Amino acid sequence: MVAVKLIPHILSWAGIVLVLLRGFPGRRSVVTLTSISGFVIGVTGTFILFRSYPGTIPFGIVKSALGVSFLFLWGISVAVIYRSTGRGVSIFRGERLVNTSLCAGVVACLASMVAGAVCACRLPATDSTALTFILLALAAGALAYTLAYAALAFDKLLSPSYTVTLTGMLVAVVALLLCSSSSVLRLDLFSPLSMKVMKGVHDFVHQFMESILIPDHLFVRSYVWNYIGLLFGKEVGFWGGMVIWFTPAFLIALAIRFERLPSVAHIRQGAQRRTLLAAAIAKRRYRLVIPVLSVAVFAAAAYQSRFPSVEYWDPKPLPVTASPAGEIFIPKKGEIDLEDGKLHKYLFKQGGREARFFVLMTPEGRLTVDLDACAICKPDGYGQAEGSVICYYCKTLIPLDTVGKPGGCNPVPVAFTEKSDGVVIDGMALINSWGSTVQATARVKEGGK
Amino acid sequence: MLFRILKNSFLKRPKAVFLVFLSIAMGAAVATAFLGIAGEVSHKMALELRSYGANILLEPSAVEGGGFLREEDLPKIKTVFWKYNITGFTPYLFGIAEFSAGGKKERGVVSGTWFARQLEVPGEDPSVQGIKGIAPWWEVEGRWPEAADESIVGAALAKRLNVVPGGDVTTTVRGRTQQLRIVGVVTTGGYEEEQLFAPLVTVQSLLQQQGKISRVLVSALTVPMDDFGKKDPATMSKDEYEKWYCTAYVTSVAKNVEEVMAGSRAKPIWQIASAEGALLKKLNSVMLLLTVLALGASATAVSTSLMASMAERSPEIALMKAVGADRLQISAIFVGETLIISVAGGIVGYLLGDQLAGIISRTVFNSPISSPLWLFPTAIISAFAVAIAGSVAPLRRALLIEPVRVLKG
Amino acid sequence: MVSAIIETSGLTRNYGDICALKPIDLIVPEGEWLSVMGHSGSGKSTLMNLVGGLDRPSNGSLRVGGEDLLALSEDGLARFRREFVGIIFQQHHLVPYLTAVENVMLAQYFHSVPDEAEARSALERVGLGHRLKNRPGELSGGEQQRVCIARAIINSPKLLLGDEPTGNLDHKSTVMVMELLKELRAEERFTVIMVTHNQEVAAWGDRTIYLDDGVLVREERMKS
Repeated sequence: MVAVKLIPHILSWAGIVLVLLRGFPGRRSVVTLTSISGFVIGVTGTFILFRSYPGTIPFGIVKSALGVSFLFLWGISVAVIYRSTGRGVSIFRGERLVNTSLCAGVVACLASMVAGAVCACRLPATDSTALTFILLALAAGALAYTLAYAALAFDKLLSPSYTVTLTGMLVAVVALLLCSSSSVLRLDLFSPLSMKVMKGVHDFVHQFMESILIPDHLFVRSYVWNYIGLLFGKEVGFWGGMVIWFTPAFLIALAIRFERLPSVAHIRQGAQRRTLLAAAIAKRRYRLVIPVLSVAVFAAAAYQSRFPSVEYWDPKPLPVTASPAGEIFIPKKGEIDLEDGKLHKYLFKQGGREARFFVLMTPEGRLTVDLDACAICKPDGYGQAEGSVICYYCKTLIPLDTVGKPGGCNPVPVAFTEKSDGVVIDGMALINSWGSTVQATARVKEGGK
Repeated sequence: MLFRILKNSFLKRPKAVFLVFLSIAMGAAVATAFLGIAGEVSHKMALELRSYGANILLEPSAVEGGGFLREEDLPKIKTVFWKYNITGFTPYLFGIAEFSAGGKKERGVVSGTWFARQLEVPGEDPSVQGIKGIAPWWEVEGRWPEAADESIVGAALAKRLNVVPGGDVTTTVRGRTQQLRIVGVVTTGGYEEEQLFAPLVTVQSLLQQQGKISRVLVSALTVPMDDFGKKDPATMSKDEYEKWYCTAYVTSVAKNVEEVMAGSRAKPIWQIASAEGALLKKLNSVMLLLTVLALGASATAVSTSLMASMAERSPEIALMKAVGADRLQISAIFVGETLIISVAGGIVGYLLGDQLAGIISRTVFNSPISSPLWLFPTAIISAFAVAIAGSVAPLRRALLIEPVRVLKG
Repeated sequence: MVSAIIETSGLTRNYGDICALKPIDLIVPEGEWLSVMGHSGSGKSTLMNLVGGLDRPSNGSLRVGGEDLLALSEDGLARFRREFVGIIFQQHHLVPYLTAVENVMLAQYFHSVPDEAEARSALERVGLGHRLKNRPGELSGGEQQRVCIARAIINSPKLLLGDEPTGNLDHKSTVMVMELLKELRAEERFTVIMVTHNQEVAAWGDRTIYLDDGVLVREERMKS
């Protein structure tokens, strides 16, 4: 199951390796080796991160790496489009460094590290021992070795005339990384981007325009208000996000499209001159293939982000322990923000008995602690959908604002005390409540289905 | 150059081009019209289903004699087992009344109901119940009634009575008269547009039916029906019944509600809708079939006329080949030609089809149609499909032309 | 010794049971102007089509400009035609809806990329600078044939094939066209193979071969 989920991520890494091999022709061995090692470092490094900082911090780190790569792409794209207008501007002083094996190695290693980190984010959180760690490293290494050599073999099959420009290579690498990460909810960049755009637009309109746009203003007719109203629509964030999302790839494609053709005026024979020109145009067309494909990959990433295949928000239960006094304390802030309106599941074990429960902030702002089971169904637990939680057993949707109340197929509430910095639950009562609930429902057989 | 060739080729042979254009435009028009109607029908159906928002209808079980339900039972709905899945409910009391406004007199239905009523149930959180909650799609021009003598009127009835928000309507039932102030005109897309809605207490006293209601609409979050849900509860084993009862099928929630409303019978509304739904589904598949047939016919027409023009143009193709065009270049010219015609044909077809859909909808279904946005790409894509399907055979023929034979003549 | 541009051995072409060309061995040195004469149906056009890559032989070997035409695919033959051969037909064969300059540009387009300035100067070179924007229907026979010549030489072919290029022209136009070809050949140094049944036209060449019923019957070298 995990392996199936990993397939798209690993394939996009293989795509990255292939593009890098194309982008640095003649540096195959460097690119292959650094890619493999980068991937292994990425996987194991992220694994260690997850071990030392549980919760959302590792996700944040990987997500920032992705964000930085996207910003970097933006910078590059603006620079190349500016240069393609013919201005002789030197953007990057070390430009001659670009085609060295050092640069090839660094780019391949960094890209593969991020790709590996994204893969690692998909791995289930296990009790990590040194053994699993070594096994993981070995597995990642073997996998990376196989795929990198598959990519190498494929690259050798391709005709050398399919060249990739440096910018084309970068845009493809970033596109593949983002496409790979967009299917992981916590790494996704596009949705937060559109949220930020929407918020930004609203803040801008509020803060800077409010003063001049009082409703009865002389110069602001009612139809103008309709246009201003558009700025507050739900779509603003989406379309604004789209623009930001696709612009770099478009700019790079444009820059390649407007590349100067070689000067052929000195060749006197028309046929020969035109043959050269046609060859140059064909070559440019080949170089455009990768950026155009990258646009499609970006679109796939945006689509995945917009319509995530994950139907329900269902985090893995985090193990918690009780204090000597038998109390479980869950902090409000920290690696998990209890008050973010999402379901947070925990697992409490004591003396061979265990209880699964979750903490949730209802839309009206009330914290509630409930068993991950209801009084009537088998304890299959709950997932969170939009505006409701769903009981996995009977598939009943329960409105979010009724979570925390007993009855029906609602999750069984647990008594807790809310403090300013967290919630406190009595461990023994929790275990007992779980025990009696599960006992009561265990007799409900798999009737009918 | 390619565009120069195409442009000149179009200008030189307007008749042949027009023929192909016409076939594609017709195909796209028919596809647009049929798909548009099919889409609109399902859209309307979805609206209809949602317009009950409500999926459970509670009526008095005594069919004859016009029995009533008791208003005092209503709060109990919030106490049933599935109380959290019941997102809202609204009681109604109907009566036939004479309306008069500004000298106009009309007969119609006066309906007493809750608009947004604060409901306090002991042991439960207070909630707001009424039409506003379960029928959010109702468009009220004006505002919702607040006082006991305020009312909203359905758009159709408002037209007949010629009233606008702010006007007064005198309602007469069996000699009893009540002056009602219109504060809003409501558009619902359903039969409600023929009614006048006033607060329940007002209508109860007008009809002399204090404390009585004639139906309740309940809106509940339910689980889609599956095979198990369709089983008759009476034939279930104890375990099965338990599972059925604790799964939020619309039937089990309905049964739940029925138990607390004395003398009531609960009908899941999907039962009413599903018969219509089956019919509409069939209609939709017929439409789809017709669309495919129409597209096939127009592809055939495109193919025939392209074949004819190909015969006429074979010297030209042979010449191009003799000059050194390979198969890709020949295909680019001819496929490019058809694709450009198909874009134009698609746009024109879309415009025509849209009108056609409007006409069909008005004459056959007697309701106006709004064309959704997805129809446009659909029209263009179907035009493309027709063009490509229609040019396969002619293109094959063009590629098989041997320059030697044709040029020698 | 000048190298051979065309080498055939045992070249045969059958149309079903009819043998249009009996095995022919022919060597054409580079830069030669070869006239091919014979009655209609003698196989002279068949020979020209085979050499120009418009038709495939039934048997034998055929090498033109160092390429084995039998080994080329259909698209390979098309590439050969556009890069190596210029063809002038008896019935002008221009695309009717394109102007003179566009007809020339068509050959450029199939070859590589169109270049309007170059196409114009080619037409000026054949003396049609004033009729660039006219369509074939508005041109006289001689003018159309000159457009064809401009088109045939636009891609600097090594081999120019003429299939009775003057067959439909009066004496004056014939002389004009032949003069033009001679001039161009002096500049561009291409090899010419000209199929004709007109003794006078054949006399413009360096060498004449006579075909009868698909058999090479006689060869005659012009005294120059």
